[in-house]
Amino acid sequence: MITVQNLKKTFRVRRGGLLRGSSVVMEAVRDVSFSVGRGEIVGYLGPNGAGKSTTIKVLTGLLVPDSGQVTVGGLVPWKDRRAHVARLGAVFGQRTTLWWDLPVHESLELLRHVYRVPEARFRQNLRDFTELLELGPFLNTPARALSLGQRMRADLAAALLHDPELLFLDEPTVGLDVVAKERIREFVRHVNATREVTVLLTTHDLGDVERLARRVMIIDHGSLLYDGALASLQARYGSPRELVVDYEAAPTDPQVPGLTLLGADGPRVRYGFTGAAATPIARVTAHAPVRDIAVKEPEIEATIRRIYEGGLLRDAALLKR
Amino acid sequence: MDKSSISRPGQREGLFSSAVYHLHLYFLLLRAQARSQAVYRLSFALDAVGSALITLAEFAAFALVIPRFGTLSGWTLGEVALLYGLAELAFVLMDLLFGGFDAPNLSGHVRSGSFNTFLLRPAPLRLQIFGSDFALRRITRVFLAAGILAYGVSASGIVWTPEAAFLLAGSVLGMIAFFGGLFVIGGTLTFWTVESVEAMNVLTYGGRTLISYPMDIYGQFLRKTFTYLLPAAFLSYFPVLHVLGRPLPDGLPLLAAYLSPLVGPLMLAAAFAFWSVGVRHYGGTGT
Amino acid sequence: MQAALPSSARPNVALYASVARLGFRRQFAYPQAALWGLITNLFFGVLRIAVLVALFGSKPQVAGLTVQDAITYTGLTQAFIMALSLFGWTDLMRTVHRGEVASDLLRPHDLLYWWAAQDAGRAVGQFVLRGLPMLTLFALVWGATFPAGATGWLLTTLSLLLAWACGFAFRFLVNCAAFWSPDAVGIGRFAWAVLGLGSGFLMPLAFFPQWFQTVLAFTPFPSMMNTTVEVWLGVKTGPEAWAAVAVQVGWALLLFALAASVLSRGLRRLEVAGG
Ligand SMILES: Nc1ncnc2c1ncn2[C@@H]1O[C@H](COP(=O)(O)OP(=O)(O)OP(=O)(O)O)[C@@H](O)[C@H]1O
Ligand SMILES: [Mg+2]
Repeated sequence: MITVQNLKKTFRVRRGGLLRGSSVVMEAVRDVSFSVGRGEIVGYLGPNGAGKSTTIKVLTGLLVPDSGQVTVGGLVPWKDRRAHVARLGAVFGQRTTLWWDLPVHESLELLRHVYRVPEARFRQNLRDFTELLELGPFLNTPARALSLGQRMRADLAAALLHDPELLFLDEPTVGLDVVAKERIREFVRHVNATREVTVLLTTHDLGDVERLARRVMIIDHGSLLYDGALASLQARYGSPRELVVDYEAAPTDPQVPGLTLLGADGPRVRYGFTGAAATPIARVTAHAPVRDIAVKEPEIEATIRRIYEGGLLRDAALLKR
Repeated sequence: MDKSSISRPGQREGLFSSAVYHLHLYFLLLRAQARSQAVYRLSFALDAVGSALITLAEFAAFALVIPRFGTLSGWTLGEVALLYGLAELAFVLMDLLFGGFDAPNLSGHVRSGSFNTFLLRPAPLRLQIFGSDFALRRITRVFLAAGILAYGVSASGIVWTPEAAFLLAGSVLGMIAFFGGLFVIGGTLTFWTVESVEAMNVLTYGGRTLISYPMDIYGQFLRKTFTYLLPAAFLSYFPVLHVLGRPLPDGLPLLAAYLSPLVGPLMLAAAFAFWSVGVRHYGGTGT
Repeated sequence: MQAALPSSARPNVALYASVARLGFRRQFAYPQAALWGLITNLFFGVLRIAVLVALFGSKPQVAGLTVQDAITYTGLTQAFIMALSLFGWTDLMRTVHRGEVASDLLRPHDLLYWWAAQDAGRAVGQFVLRGLPMLTLFALVWGATFPAGATGWLLTTLSLLLAWACGFAFRFLVNCAAFWSPDAVGIGRFAWAVLGLGSGFLMPLAFFPQWFQTVLAFTPFPSMMNTTVEVWLGVKTGPEAWAAVAVQVGWALLLFALAASVLSRGLRRLEVAGG
């Protein structure tokens, strides 16, 4: 569906005034290659300024790259704009594509004409999306009066009305509450499953990725650092599991053989371990009287943070799937 | 699911059905604008009347003082009204049509990201811009301009012949295209720099005011600049001179009075060529 | 802050001076835009001179003004456009509509003084940036004239300051409409059109028919610019000029009092409506 080879995009950034200023070349994306198959959901991660949005803008045909080959469904995005964009839907974070002062359903109706969606198909889709995204209560409200979550849902509907084969989501859940996020994730999962829509998703909320994507790509400073299954990322770079122990009294020596001491705060002591929990628990209970024990799974969030901060993946050897 | 039932824009289709689709879409976009502006009813009414008032005040000021002087170097109030009305009518119609290309609006679209939204839709970009900033409130200025023009026509005693009608209508069309071209150029410049906005004002609003009065009052230098360098005199001054039965300056042939419908579209074509360069530049920077 | 004294009872001069300085300095942020603005004003100035010169034809004097006076008049109006905001001003209504005015209220200053200080700074900045170059150009290229003698300069300066005061208070009043109506922009359009015609920006008031001048004499609009131009040109001198300036003082006081009272009503309304 999407093939990207050696994609490179630089920006010339002006410093200072028009006359005396110099310009600095900023490599937003350098030598990125990947491909995405039909029906996949891929999470595209990376810290701020990593080059995610730039990649998406190239894929949607908004930006022309400096070099590299890109085809999306057999077309070069920036060469045949109209044919290309007719097959894709895109939602860019905080920006709405709806007409600001028009009721939502009128915006959608207008888009029906823009994309030339047959009347019956449009009705069908509108009915489905209204149900799935619960648009009903605000279909007659102008976009300007919608809450962020409502607007996001309306925008998602707008992006999918014409049955696109591809959906680009650039931070679709930013600023939303837990329930709204969940509803959007559920919807994306649904259209992917039932309509075979290929989804490329950038986000800073790893919940989105955990919930939707089996595959993630991580980009930083314009280079792709990881491309593979979310699960193996976790297995390889995840922090150890954690045992949180509340002793009856603060132990004089919290050290337990075979466990890594992570921290002690009075009677509560945290240990790190790998593998099954039975042995570590047995050791701890043997060590001193225990009131309570909990096992904490490492969070993907922490893993990713470690990757961003520690530059864990920057070794070229880890690049390949 | 039958995806093939959706006819994808961009695929081959008849010229006629494509034209109908585009016109229909343009109409829908304008209607959407009009509807959203009419939501704030009182505000809209006030704005509509208010925006005509500025023009009215300007023309009224001129009309009020002319009795003290008699004429404007041989031009009666009616004859000036003819020029003034033509320029205002064409400019406001142009503003309605080309509003989306006006530099402040276009740079606003670029900044807010709605320009990207246009690019993400499978409709012609220019069509979407044409349909993006339709300021319905200007409609009152159309009526005012038509009124001033009507006064000019009757007060200057024009004999209605097909030729006069052709000259005046051609003049309006030529000016719409000409000033539309200036709007397109100004809008395109904002792909590079927004500071150009003020610079274009001299040409657009300055040009409109310039041709609202008979050009012989400006002295040789200005008049020649705006005849041979920037062909503004062809737009309305020469056609009106001819309609009033006056000779053209510099011994120009009568043909010069008929060139407005040619000069305007030429300007517009050049402007759109520049526009394409600008859009390509945008694809490189995505400012 | 002393609780015993309401802050408005003792205007905080240092605060308003620094607000004015800020307003002044802000004008210099976009020199390129200012330059183009100046060129636009100049171009329109040339067109307006052409119209006036053509109107005069061979007449030496009309309604007490010579062609040279008319040219100087044009230079002055073009120079004052920005400083006196002759095309209108909507800063206050914008803050009201956006609800920013509520946060202004939390600060211990008088809103009218605060805006006046800011606008004064802005006006001076624009006068330096756009007014002085324009006047210099008009003097060099078209021989625009200057006030005569020390008294002429004194009167003109006084009259100019008062023109700003009258204009500011009027603009402020119009902007106060935003407290009551979301359509203040539309109301403003009316006001700015009337301001353009009545202040003598579009044409010197002396050229208008007598009946129209009589009507205008009962309004504050001539005080917002036309008076200054007439004093500058020396059309009005001696006691007549002092009388004209006195009229300006009267209008300025009246308009400021009106602005203060309308503002306090507007603010009360804002509090009731909950911002
Ligand atoms: N139009 C532009 N002109 C100049 N530089 C740009 C432009 N767009 C992006 N950049 C730069 O390119 C780099 C990559 O930006 P990009 O928007 O792709 O990051 P991102 O991964 O989407 O970040 P975020 O998570 O913050 O959205 C950044 O350093 C950014 O400053
Ligand atoms: Mg981004």
